[in-house]
This record gives sequence, C-alpha cells and structure tokens, in this order.
Amino acid sequence: MNTPTQTALQPAARRAPAAGSPFKGQYRKRLFKADLLTVIAWASVAGAVALWLADGGVAGFSSVAGAFTAMGIVAGLAGMDLVLLMLLLAARLPVIDGAVGHDRALEFHRKLGKPSLYLLLAHGVLIAIGYGLAEGLDPISESVALWVKVPDMWLAFVSMALFIAVVVTSLVAVRRRFPYEFWYAVHLLTYAAVLTSLPHQFSVGGLFAEGTWQRWYWLAVCIATGTALLHYRVLEPIVATVRHQLRVSRVVAAGHGVVSIEMTGRHLDELAGSGGRFFIWRFLAPGQWWHPHPFSLSAEPLQFDADGGGRLRITVRNLGKGSASLARLKPGTRVAVEGPYGLFSTAARSRKHVVMIGAGIGITPIRALLESTPFAPGDATVILRGHSRSGLYLGDEILELCQRRGATLFHLTGRRPRGVQTWQPETEARSGYRLASYAPNLADADVYVCGPADWARNVLDDARRAGVREEQLHYERFDW
Amino acid sequence: MRIRAVVSATLASVGILVAGWQSGAHVANTASAVGTTAGTTGSGTTGAGPSGSVGSSAPSSGTSGTTGSSSSTGAAAKADGTFAGDVVQTRFGPVQVQVTVSGGAISDVTALQLTDDGGRSVQISNYAAPLLRAEVLQAQSANVQTISGATVTSDAYLTSLQAALDAAHI
Amino acid sequence: MQPTSELGRPELKAKTFRRMGTVVSLTVPVGPEPWTAAAEATLADATGVVERRFGELDARFSLYRPESEASRLARGELSLREASQEFRDCYADAAEWRLQTEGAFTPERPDGVPDLSGLVKGFAIKEAGALLQSRGLADWCLNAGGDVLVAGSPIVGSRAAWQAGVVDPQDRTTLIAAYPLGGSTGGSTGGSTGPRALATSGSAERGDHIWTRGAGVSEFRQVSVAAADILTADVLATAIVAGGVRMLNRATSGWDVEVLAIRNDGGILATPGFRA
Repeated sequence: MNTPTQTALQPAARRAPAAGSPFKGQYRKRLFKADLLTVIAWASVAGAVALWLADGGVAGFSSVAGAFTAMGIVAGLAGMDLVLLMLLLAARLPVIDGAVGHDRALEFHRKLGKPSLYLLLAHGVLIAIGYGLAEGLDPISESVALWVKVPDMWLAFVSMALFIAVVVTSLVAVRRRFPYEFWYAVHLLTYAAVLTSLPHQFSVGGLFAEGTWQRWYWLAVCIATGTALLHYRVLEPIVATVRHQLRVSRVVAAGHGVVSIEMTGRHLDELAGSGGRFFIWRFLAPGQWWHPHPFSLSAEPLQFDADGGGRLRITVRNLGKGSASLARLKPGTRVAVEGPYGLFSTAARSRKHVVMIGAGIGITPIRALLESTPFAPGDATVILRGHSRSGLYLGDEILELCQRRGATLFHLTGRRPRGVQTWQPETEARSGYRLASYAPNLADADVYVCGPADWARNVLDDARRAGVREEQLHYERFDW
Repeated sequence: MRIRAVVSATLASVGILVAGWQSGAHVANTASAVGTTAGTTGSGTTGAGPSGSVGSSAPSSGTSGTTGSSSSTGAAAKADGTFAGDVVQTRFGPVQVQVTVSGGAISDVTALQLTDDGGRSVQISNYAAPLLRAEVLQAQSANVQTISGATVTSDAYLTSLQAALDAAHI
Repeated sequence: MQPTSELGRPELKAKTFRRMGTVVSLTVPVGPEPWTAAAEATLADATGVVERRFGELDARFSLYRPESEASRLARGELSLREASQEFRDCYADAAEWRLQTEGAFTPERPDGVPDLSGLVKGFAIKEAGALLQSRGLADWCLNAGGDVLVAGSPIVGSRAAWQAGVVDPQDRTTLIAAYPLGGSTGGSTGGSTGPRALATSGSAERGDHIWTRGAGVSEFRQVSVAAADILTADVLATAIVAGGVRMLNRATSGWDVEVLAIRNDGGILATPGFRA
C-alpha cells in the first residue's frame, strides 16, 4: 500500500511551452513587481516622515519636550502608514496578489501587526510626555487632559484600545483559543480602529493643518486605501456574485468528513484556469451567510453552453465550526463568490518542471492545479499524502489526470513516525527517502505544497535541503 | 527579502528623507525669519511702556515704539535683538518662544502660537500663554469705570483705586 | 473697542455700602438729561435693594458673624441637615463646583468646616443683579470687593462696553490690564454681548478663603476670570489660584472664559481675550 504508484507516461493533453522560457520571463516580471512594491511600501513610510520634515518638523528637536513630541509624531506617522499598508495587504489588491500571492501578503500583514502597534503605543506615550513637559503636566495628567478637553482625542483613545484588541486576538497563541468566527469578528474592528483614529490626526496639534503637504498626502493615502478596500472587498465580490448567480446543486460525500459541493451558475468560463487559486465562498443560508470559506475549485468548471452556463465544484472538510455545517447545505442555496485569489497557480511558475504535493484536504487545490498548469509529459510529479487510501481525496480523478497528462503520481499513506520530523509515512522515512527521491528533477522544478502547516514545513525543509530556492517554493496554508 | 529590494528600498527611503529634511530646513529658516520681524516690533512696544489708550488693539503700530527703541538702541550692546526660541509641540499646535534682548538683558519673552491659521486647532487655542505686561490690554485708571482686584477688605478699599473711582462719582 | 473715547468720558453716579467685610458699589450712567432728584432716588432705591439682599446673605453665610447660620454650623450647633434650604442649596452648588474643578474649589476649610465664602459673594452679586434687572435697570455696574457684574453700557443708549481695570498685585495703585464687559459687539440688533462678569482672586490678600491643594503655596498671586456670569468667574478665579496651571488649563478649555493669571514672580499668563 505504501509503495509508490507510478503511472505510465502518456501523450500530453496540452502542449508544454518550449524549454520553460515563458516561465522564466514571467518569474522575472513578477519578481520585479514584488521588489517594486517593497520599495513603494518602505518609501511610503519614509515619505510620511519626510513630509513631516518638509513641514519643518525637525525644529521640534531643539528642546527636550519638543524632542519627545517629535519622536511621538514620527512614531504615529510611521505607525499609521504601517496600518494602512496592512489594510492594503489584506485588501486583495490584484497587483499585490499577482506579485507575492495572498499568503505572502497576509504573512507581511501579520509581520507588520506588532511593529505598528508598538509604534502607535510609543506615539501615545511619547506625545503625552512631550505635551506634558511643554505644559508642566505629568504624562498621566496630560493624557487625562487630552481625553477630556481636546476634541476628537477620546476617539483616538478608543482607537488605541481597538488596535490593542485586534493585535492581541490576532496573535497566533491567543487565536488558537478562540473560534475562527470570533477572530474574524474582532478583525472587523480594525476598520473601526482606523476610522476612529482619523479625526484626531487632522484636528489636533495642527500637524495636518490646511496648506501643509502632509494634509494632502494623508488625505490621498487614506482615501486611496478606503477606495481600494471598498472596491476589492465589497464591490467586486458583489459584482461577481450577481454575475455568476451560483446555486448549490448537489452535496456529495467524497470521503470521511469530506464533501464535494457542486454549484451551477453563469459565465463560469471566466472562472476557468484558476488552478489552485482559492475563492471566498459564502453560502447565503440562515446562520451561514456571514461566514466566508476560502476554498479552491477542486475541478475546472464544466461548461454546458456557449454563455458559460455550467457547473463547478469545491471539496471541503470539517475544519472550523462553519465548515461542519456545509455538509447540510440544501440544493438551491444561493452562493456569493469572490476571487480567485492567491498565487497557487501557473502564475507562480518559474521553472519547466513542476512538483505538486498535497496532504489531506490540501489535495483538492493540487487536483485543480494539475488539471490546468502547462507541462510536458514527464516533467510533472504529483505526491499525495494521507493517513489511509480513503484520505487521498479525489484520488481516482487525480490518477486519471496523471495518466492523461503524463505526470508521475505517488500515493504515500500511513502514519508518520513518532519523534521524527518528516512529511512521509514511517516506512518511507525509515528507508531514507527524500523529496528528491520522488522527483529527480526537483532542483529545477516549481514545488507546490498544500496541506497542514506542520507537515508543509517539513516538505519545504526537505525541498530546501535539496537545493530548491525560495522562489521555486509555492505554499498554500490550509488552516484558515 | 531579496537584496535588490532591500537596497533599492533603503536608497529610496534615505533619498526621500533627505529631500524632506532639506525642504524642512528651508521652512524652519523662513519661520524664524518671520519670528524675528514680529519680535522686533514687540521690543519697540516694550521700550515705549504701557501706552494710554484702552482700546488700542494694535500695540505693534510703529509710532509708539520708535521713541523707546531709539533710546535703547543708543545704549544697547550689539547683542541686542530678537531671537526665535525653540518650537515646542503642544496639543494646541507648535508654540514658539521668542526672546528679546536689550541692553544685554532679556527684556521680553513671548510665546507665539503658530497654528492660528490652520486646522481645527484654532478652536482650542483659548490657552493661557505667557505674555509680557506690555502685551495685555492696557488700562489707566482714567479710562476704566470699575476695577477688579483680589478680594479687598473694607479697610483696603479705602486706599483702593475703586474707592477713588467711587468717590469721583458720588 | 474705541467707542469710549469717541463718545467722550462717560458720566457716572455711584453709591456704596459695606457688607460681607467689603465695600459694594453700584454705578449707573448719567443719561443725556441732567441728573435729577428722581434719578438719584432711583439709584438710592436700587442700592437699597442690593444692600438688603447682601445683608440677608451675609447674615446667613458670614463666618465673621457669630450668630450666622454658617458660624453655628462651624461651631457644631447645627448640622448641615438642619440648615436652611438656601444654605443647603448653596452648599450643593459649591459641591457641584468642587466636582467640576476636580477639587480646586472646595466649600470646606481644611478642618472640615463648611465655608461658602468663596461662593457667597458671587452668589450675592448674581442675585442682586437679577433684582436690578427685574426693576428695569438697563445700565449698571455692580462691584463687590473687586468682583464685577455689569449690564448694558456706561453711556446711556450706546453699545460701548464697561471698561474694567485689573489691579496690579505688585502695586495696587496701578492697573495691569483692562477688559471690556457687557456692551454690544454685534450688528444693529441683537448683537452678541461680551462677558458680563469679571472676578479676581488673589493669594496675597485675605488668603484664608482660598485653600490650595496640598496646603502648598499658590503658583499664582492673582487670577482674573471674565465670564458670562459672575458665579463662574468667581469660582474659577478662586479655583485657579488654588489649583495652579492645571486648573488654569482646565478652566480655559472647559469653560468659555478669558483668564489673566499673574504668577508669584510677576509673570503673566493670559488667554487671547486679554491680549492687546
């Protein structure tokens, strides 16, 4: 059961691009975009501080009180800039998604969380000290005075409290203790936190007074961020939902605790070719509608007619509380859709060869990717990992696809050995197999990994040890 | 992060900061220049001492200052002048302190509120700032109809300005 | 701010009397017509009304009169619950002010004896002003021991403001500042009226009725507050002397007032209204 299942090479269903050169070019372009975005992100922080300097901010450093206040202002400006960057990173902007992918964008988003909170806290403390020194009050009294007397300042205090709440609940350790639904609701508070922080920036201290460059810069940045969020997180999903008119047509069991949800809709041709990219699904049923589910298609959409009317399918397993009730969805339920998002697709390719590894429910995006990404027969390797054969979801379909397209397929089933960090079952691990054993051309291949976080980390480590570079690794988180 | 991104991000950020700092230095120079002009007028007023008219809302009018400043200029050492002090950030916006030196001694320290022209900070600028005697609304007993002072006892009243006013009208 | 000089020196008549340990004067302008016996009688009558009200309140609140309600309370012969409605109302007002000034103004001496003298003079001026108003007097200036409440103008039929001088605490024979009270600053009709009241408190004279927090020495030698009503002006002036810069900042941002505060070293802190 644990021996690799190798399929015979078959004639290619799709023509592979010659010598992988398009992928090289695509990769270079994407790399340039990512670097450009990085530069813009840092430049925006520098720009915020530079505009403050341009409005004469450096004069503040000529006294102790002024120095505290000046540092407080710089911290606030940088903190606000980072917060707006975080919002943009989570806004699913196509330009960011296409350059670094949804997961990497959210990873940066998370990395910025603590620094921006620290900057905002420093902002509050330093300003209270600075103003207090200038007015002969201790920082606590000054804070009370600010809260009580200065218009809009109480909102800023509320905003600070919200930021703290959001960051604290987002920290992974705490997040584990709360259900996803709670975390999601708290996260919505970010918008409240940002909105409540805005008034005092424009009214207190005359920093963004009329006629200053800073006023225009921050107005522009805030409006741009707000517009981007509104467009990509509200408007586009609504447009997509209305356009595709998705309804649940069938819910079928695809294994233990795993269901495939089939939907019918219109213009589904526009959703084709998304590969392993994920969509956000909301099932418009009582108690369900507000809960977003990120799943990729588990099969390319099937088209019935020339108008794009057809059927598509997702395959899901019980993860959160919300996912569990999906098995009870009634046919006819309307479905809101947004996406596709992420880089778990052909857009991330940089090499001619491709290795796709999926575990558990993470197999489903692998299946979609396998169906759509171009490769020459013999250039692709697919590895499926499950506790048992029944855990290799969609295994039959994948076998058939591999046969048709000429990919090498391995089924790895069985328990993982205790106390050893490996992504393989016990037997394979003991036999000294490594990732390169399954895919000899690993060093020159794109490696797509989808599965539980710990397992995926072991796969990625294995790949790195085999000399695979970061840009070749494509990893989709498969918790939320 | 890739080296290329790091290097270009660093270069861009440093460049932007330097550009901001440069144009900021220019702004700061202008500001202190403005402060000096305003302050010189103030020193003139100081020399003139409290001038009579209650209503005069413009102590900066040149004539009242000339006499005082010309005499002090004659005696003054070369260190005389008006110097813009530190800009201190307060929740009311930046406040700049201005020092006037005449005859080698500090004769005037003024706080200038710098944000009266912008933003909503004006709303909350009813802030008690340090003022010189010459800068408050001036009065001579001849021009007032009543006098406010710290609670005067009946005995103190007898020698008070209010008593003089009352006596004149009884 | 120029009408005074344009219209010439206003001609005034004043009456004074002693009450509450100080001297109270009521001043009214002389109209275009010559000063008649009838006008003199009206002023004397008005002064009498004011004097009676001051007398009643003095009899009740003065700690200088052994038979006053306040003194009996201080000696423990009477409890606050047994005190008159007026005393209790006044005490409640004072307690409310203590809250609003975060304790800078307090209706109690450090030994716990209720002391409303910080409030009573302002209260008396306010009541007297209401009486004058109810008698149809349009233009008058009431000055009780340096706390001033005005109505109308010092020149009959004009919009000119009363000019109130503020005594220089370092030299009581000179003025340190002026402030226009009452009058009308707006357009033809219903123009806005400036503050009508100006009160000054000091730590130099009769410092016994301003209790500074923590029994420290006050930062301010003298504090003047201009406000729409005399109670606010009086209480805040007292509170700022007791509460220092903190209370000053609280007052300027929490109330619509103008403040002129003179530090012990003679330095001046003033809101824009006092600025020339």
